[in-house]
Amino acid sequence: MNIKSLNRKLNKKFAGRVTARLSDGCIVLTGELDDWNDVVDAGMTAATPHSSTHVVNDIVFTAAPEEKMHVPALSDKALEGDRPDVLIIGGGISGCSVARELARYKLNVLLIDKEADLALGASGRNDGEVHPGVDLSKGSLKHKYIRRANHMYEDLCRELDVPFKRTGQYACFTHKSWLPFVSLYAKWRRDHDGIEDTCIVMGDEIRKKEPKISADVAFALSNPSSGSVSPYNLVIAYAENAVQNGARVSLNTAVTGMDVSDGEIKAVYTNRGTIYPREVINCAGVYSDVVAQMAQDRFFSIHPRRGTNSILDKKTGASFHGIASIVMSQSPVQTHTKGGGILHTVHDNLLIGPDAVETPERENTATDAESIARVFTKQRITMPTLTEKDIITYFTGVRAPTYEEDFIIEPGRKTKNIYHVAGIQSPGLTTAPAVAQDVAEYVAKLFNAEKKADFDPVRKAPPHLAEMNDAERAELIRQNPDYGVIVCRCEEVSRGEILDALRSPVCVPTLDGVKKRVRPGMGRCQGGFCSPLVTKIIAEYLGVPLTEVMKSSDRSPIVFGSKKGGSDNA
Amino acid sequence: MHDYDVIVIGGGPAGLAAALAANENGARVLVVEREERLGGMLKQCIHDGFGLRRFGERLAGPEYVERFMDKIAQSDIEAACNTFVTRAEKTDSGFAVTLVSREGLRTVAAKSLVLATGCRERSAKQVFIHGTRPAGVFTAGTAQHFTNRLGVMPTKKCVILGSGDIGLIMARRLTLEGAEVLGVYEINPTPSGLTRNIYQCLTDYNIPLHLSHTVTRVFGKDRLEAVEVCAVDENYKPIQESAERIECDALIVSVGLIPENELAQSLGVELDKHTGGPVCDAQLMTKVPGIFSCGNALHVNDLVDFVSESGEEAGRNAAAWCGKAQRRVDINIGGEFLYLVPQQIDLESDNSKTVVYFRSKKVLDKSVLRLKIDGEEVWKKTYPFLRPPEMQQLTLDMTKYDINENSDVRFEIEVVK
Repeated sequence: MNIKSLNRKLNKKFAGRVTARLSDGCIVLTGELDDWNDVVDAGMTAATPHSSTHVVNDIVFTAAPEEKMHVPALSDKALEGDRPDVLIIGGGISGCSVARELARYKLNVLLIDKEADLALGASGRNDGEVHPGVDLSKGSLKHKYIRRANHMYEDLCRELDVPFKRTGQYACFTHKSWLPFVSLYAKWRRDHDGIEDTCIVMGDEIRKKEPKISADVAFALSNPSSGSVSPYNLVIAYAENAVQNGARVSLNTAVTGMDVSDGEIKAVYTNRGTIYPREVINCAGVYSDVVAQMAQDRFFSIHPRRGTNSILDKKTGASFHGIASIVMSQSPVQTHTKGGGILHTVHDNLLIGPDAVETPERENTATDAESIARVFTKQRITMPTLTEKDIITYFTGVRAPTYEEDFIIEPGRKTKNIYHVAGIQSPGLTTAPAVAQDVAEYVAKLFNAEKKADFDPVRKAPPHLAEMNDAERAELIRQNPDYGVIVCRCEEVSRGEILDALRSPVCVPTLDGVKKRVRPGMGRCQGGFCSPLVTKIIAEYLGVPLTEVMKSSDRSPIVFGSKKGGSDNA
Repeated sequence: MHDYDVIVIGGGPAGLAAALAANENGARVLVVEREERLGGMLKQCIHDGFGLRRFGERLAGPEYVERFMDKIAQSDIEAACNTFVTRAEKTDSGFAVTLVSREGLRTVAAKSLVLATGCRERSAKQVFIHGTRPAGVFTAGTAQHFTNRLGVMPTKKCVILGSGDIGLIMARRLTLEGAEVLGVYEINPTPSGLTRNIYQCLTDYNIPLHLSHTVTRVFGKDRLEAVEVCAVDENYKPIQESAERIECDALIVSVGLIPENELAQSLGVELDKHTGGPVCDAQLMTKVPGIFSCGNALHVNDLVDFVSESGEEAGRNAAAWCGKAQRRVDINIGGEFLYLVPQQIDLESDNSKTVVYFRSKKVLDKSVLRLKIDGEEVWKKTYPFLRPPEMQQLTLDMTKYDINENSDVRFEIEVVK
């Protein structure tokens, strides 16, 4: 679409309030709108799917003040004058997988994240599906990486000691009349697009294995290569393995600006000092366009999209073992969405969701009742027995799509020493292992870096004793009696496992940090019993009073000073 | 040969009473407690008022439970603390329970089990509180643990959701320790806690109680900064127009207790959906022969005195259990019952002192409780009023009535017009 006809279209839609122009190979939108959905609609109107000519949406949203970035309270000089070869901005799946792949080379790698832990953005707040790519069109970067990455998961998760199950997926249809079309579609996906495991399964056959699937499901598009992984555990494992192999991770570290001259980033300012990297990798998720802007290399826009998932009590885990979604549209093929479904997690809970809601706020992970109600209404079509009564918790993640709805994996266009891994949304968790290999290879070539002879790809997770047989468990308790002291009764987590988490290569000594690594508080009582106990273990481990233990960020104390009478613990 | 006659799982007030009663009846008893010390939740209930019925004294929680612990110490009951039941299985002659502790794993066998596993608190997410996930959202019991056992303040200025007893107690406790309790919000039109606690914990400290109100949202990215409260309509739906934002640093929820019966379920014990506890006969035996239930795992009690009483009943019968055949009849309920325990009686057992516990579903004016056998009224009692927070207990001699396997045994509540 040329700019003239685009402007005609925008004019018609927004009565002259929005204009488009071509600038530096991007479509730049300007104007003022007071409805966020219009802002997004304008961007979508201007965008061509998967195009490398991106929309930069500079329309001012007038109905709400701009969101302030969540930054840590910490301010010190720990990184002042640091000169890494590679500075990775962002500790999500992209940043951590790239860090680990780069750790194979003789390079000084530093990863920073503004939050108190890794995977606190979209990487840790999604459903953990390892996608087959059945809905991805050829020619997109998503499609380019999906099969290669999907096949990597067994070996990768074995190396990194991360739970992964290849459960298979059903995209369910209720109208039998669609069968011929969907069969053709399946064949096309298989033969033309290389999604080689796509097949059709009839409803009765599904119900033989999964009896709780609704009798209304006539058939499903099935991909046995779908799987389920713990997304935050994968991110943490990647980072730990990177650190084991010499990379550094600095949390609570926010980029506040950059010094760019002669088309090159000279310095990166943070709350922990100025860093002088040779190469910057932008893995900043919802803030990746902001980081690009700081680097004077913004050629795309992120439009945040929220999604809420619910976790059900483990009692429900036995009622379904794979991944299922419902296809509801009139046209069976075009609007098939992989998102939104029922998923049996690697921890044997059921996860329901997510939905997709556009939002102006990059970090608004607040939940609301409507999202959950909507998701349950939809998913009950597939599984009528689902009930909100079984929910133990829920969470919202914010995805980071571009208007072209494809990944951006490329070097800077105007600034030389930046590489963007941006616009990463679903299936970005799945594709990360393959993307990281390519990014690392590019950077290694740039520096003519040699491979380390002693790179160790194997990372060990803390043991989870409740899953072991009695003999193994007894032996570990004999070696370390703390493994015999159960602190979290719901998930059966011992004091020893909590101390293991605190001693891990990327130590995050917070209630949430420990919870993500070894699961105390993840069960049905949601930490009601164990949170005081875990807080105390953390305080003792750090040698600090209880008041200094945080839930997550360094502004999130759990308790305040001692009560009137005082106590030894405070 | 079993290692023990009776294994009691849970070392709180119910478990300790059960262990002592079983022991007094000649059983070799093991009590398993996952915490470092016996006493259960009473360890952190440092307020007084415990034991009025049983000892005629107003004791603090730890004092109450110490009376049982002292007796345990003098007996030959074995108490295993810091010990967690990782699984329990039925065997040909009884039960095998696998324990985890610093010493490792061991499996012990017993003829009968007493499940005294207590209850857990309903969490904020389970009552669908939305918004962000900051530090500063606690259940009342968690706040109590921090305050009374660890000696630190979970809040300086808070809102309490739910007028359950622990919430009321914590409103007073936090006020005494210098925190500001801005108000207690209760979604129901009537309080959920005991009347005496409303007066002693709220009225006496000028803490407002807002009935038919709930918390709908929490705000704050790091530490909680505010909550949104709303009035609710008669269907408990928040009235958005009434929404009010209250600045505070914590939300403390006291929104109900759930009997802990996951272990019971793993053993095939059937639960009553009204109580959340096992379906039991008057001897407090579940539908799985040899497994007994008591205390708050059986149903949520209002007073610890009743917890001990049911513990003793379960312990005594667990000791006496010899595997004899049963003839059980359901006890049906009609009218405004929240629940009634026991749900069955066994005609082969001695039911001359059948203890019945019940709660009404809502606040009722003058009401009659009737026992009917096959439609015929055989017994009745009039209550000036019935309130759900106040559990009722009575003892009946069920042997006086002509009951057989096919009888319709039915309790009914009727409001006197």
